[in-house]
Amino acid sequence: MTGVHAQPGGARVLRGVDLRVPAGERVALIGPSGAGKTTLLRVIAGLETPAAGSVRAGERLLDGLAPHRRPIAMVFQEPRLMPHLDAAENVAFGLRAKRVGRAERRTRAAALLAEVGLDGLGRRRVGGLSGGERQRVALARALCAEPALLLMDEPLASVDPDRRESLRALIVGLQRARGITTVVVTHDRDEAAEMGERIAVMIEGRIVQCSSPEELLLAPTSPVVARFMGLRNIVSGPVREGTLACAAGSVPASGPDGDARVVVRPEGLVPDPDGTLTLEVREATLLGSALRLRLEGAGLALEARAPVGTAHPPVGERVRFRVDPGAVWRFPEGEGPGPGLPAGAAAEAAASQ
Amino acid sequence: MRRLPAGVRTWLALVPAGVVVLIWLAAMFTAVRSSLGVSRLRGWSQASTDAYGALLDDPLFWEALWFTLRITVVSTVIAAVLAVALAAALRRRGPVLRALAAVPVPVPHLVAAVLGVLWLGPGGLADRLLGGMPLDLVRDPAGWGVILVYVYKEAPFLMLVVLAAWGPAVAAREEAAATLGLGPLRRLGLVVWPAIRPALLTGSAVVAAFAIGAFEVPLVIGPTAPETLSEYALQAGRGATLDGRALSYAALVVMSALTVVVGALAALGLRRRDA
Repeated sequence: MTGVHAQPGGARVLRGVDLRVPAGERVALIGPSGAGKTTLLRVIAGLETPAAGSVRAGERLLDGLAPHRRPIAMVFQEPRLMPHLDAAENVAFGLRAKRVGRAERRTRAAALLAEVGLDGLGRRRVGGLSGGERQRVALARALCAEPALLLMDEPLASVDPDRRESLRALIVGLQRARGITTVVVTHDRDEAAEMGERIAVMIEGRIVQCSSPEELLLAPTSPVVARFMGLRNIVSGPVREGTLACAAGSVPASGPDGDARVVVRPEGLVPDPDGTLTLEVREATLLGSALRLRLEGAGLALEARAPVGTAHPPVGERVRFRVDPGAVWRFPEGEGPGPGLPAGAAAEAAASQ
Repeated sequence: MRRLPAGVRTWLALVPAGVVVLIWLAAMFTAVRSSLGVSRLRGWSQASTDAYGALLDDPLFWEALWFTLRITVVSTVIAAVLAVALAAALRRRGPVLRALAAVPVPVPHLVAAVLGVLWLGPGGLADRLLGGMPLDLVRDPAGWGVILVYVYKEAPFLMLVVLAAWGPAVAAREEAAATLGLGPLRRLGLVVWPAIRPALLTGSAVVAAFAIGAFEVPLVIGPTAPETLSEYALQAGRGATLDGRALSYAALVVMSALTVVVGALAALGLRRRDA
């Protein structure tokens, strides 16, 4: 899709979205609430008319095409099953559009129900299924339509947390086995990393970066993306001979001399008497898998992480920290908070997480 | 405060419905008794089915029965179809348009019938606007004037019933069906119809039952002959004789039986859906 603008209900939601999903790939679309993720899927599916821009499936232009004429199926946040039909008839619902006979519909539905782990539940009324089972039926229903593109709008949102993991694995497994081009929306970073071969970050109606999960975490293109991905240690200042100077000390920074902004991954900040940053320990919290230190100094608010069990300086003490050069990423020059985004967007995006 | 046991609460919840049924049963008992010729002067020992025999022998009764059934079925079907079309057109519109479409709902049937005469009668508003009416709808022996007034009154009522059932959840399922390749007509048949069918069926049964029993519209705009069943009963009851009174009540009992049949058919239709 190129240059897509959309304003459902009058509000500008999409502001020039460009996104290319190669055939067979699985892309996770991530962004804060209100970023326009669902609207983007609805535009692709034809449920929303864009104000500008165009959408293609391969060489086929989809603009102006009604939803039922597009080679696209969609799984919504809530399953949207037909309450008057049993699970098998729900799965085979799309086959009615192709005038497939009842016997054939039930055979294909039974096979798909088995694939999604609901073997033998074909005759159940959907009202008697759990949230997770209903979403599996919705997934099987979308697959039954054999779409060229599968859109999924937060498919795990209505599923119990303890069943999300298995459904997530099922979605990824089925996509791999069938090679269906898939775009899945989520607002959870970890879920995006697990479900997407690439992750597209959407902020305020634009896709600000689309990369592999590794690239997104190791080399975010802007502070907005870094903050959204949970990397909040952003330091700015002049760089001279590979060192960035700031009020709290200095940080190693590769690249040419001049003003720069870098992001320091939390595991790269290590207490060391010979360190170059002096910061006060404001809080030490034992999380499930790591020890988190909140640090402040000279207007900087940073975060360090260490393995559980690591000895840490006492809270309230000013300590020197070493910065591991491998944990520092310098943002490309000219990258502001994001293309055309207001100054507060980065903070808002991070806050919404 | 102590909560009442669940069983007691269930029975208490049924009290309003029970009162309505009791009132109907008491009225029906009185009507059946009167149709059998039982009164203060003539006890149960003199009860007879003569009035029903006279009813079945009277060609005017059969004319009234078929005329009533025809008006009821035709007006209810047209109103139901129109209601679905109106709901489809207005469901994404604002409350103002919906309210305008629902204006006829609170208008009394008698007023609607008088409006019908003012519009459709010779020299009426439609006559003047069109420069001559192609059909004479007032006192029309085929009853189209009556049907038109019923459609004007009941289509907006049924539209409201359909709109209440055709809510956002159905719209969401329509979207899902669209992304599965179902076009608008198939979505109407496979997604919308199963959702609105129970409401439309119940609403249509109410409308049909009303049309069977109402007399004000046929009296104002309907033909002198044939009469509807209600007009027939009214005329029969106006006589001073006890036989006329029994005949009138017998016709009323037949009308009540028809409404019960309509209700049973609607219930059967609803059960078939649930099966």
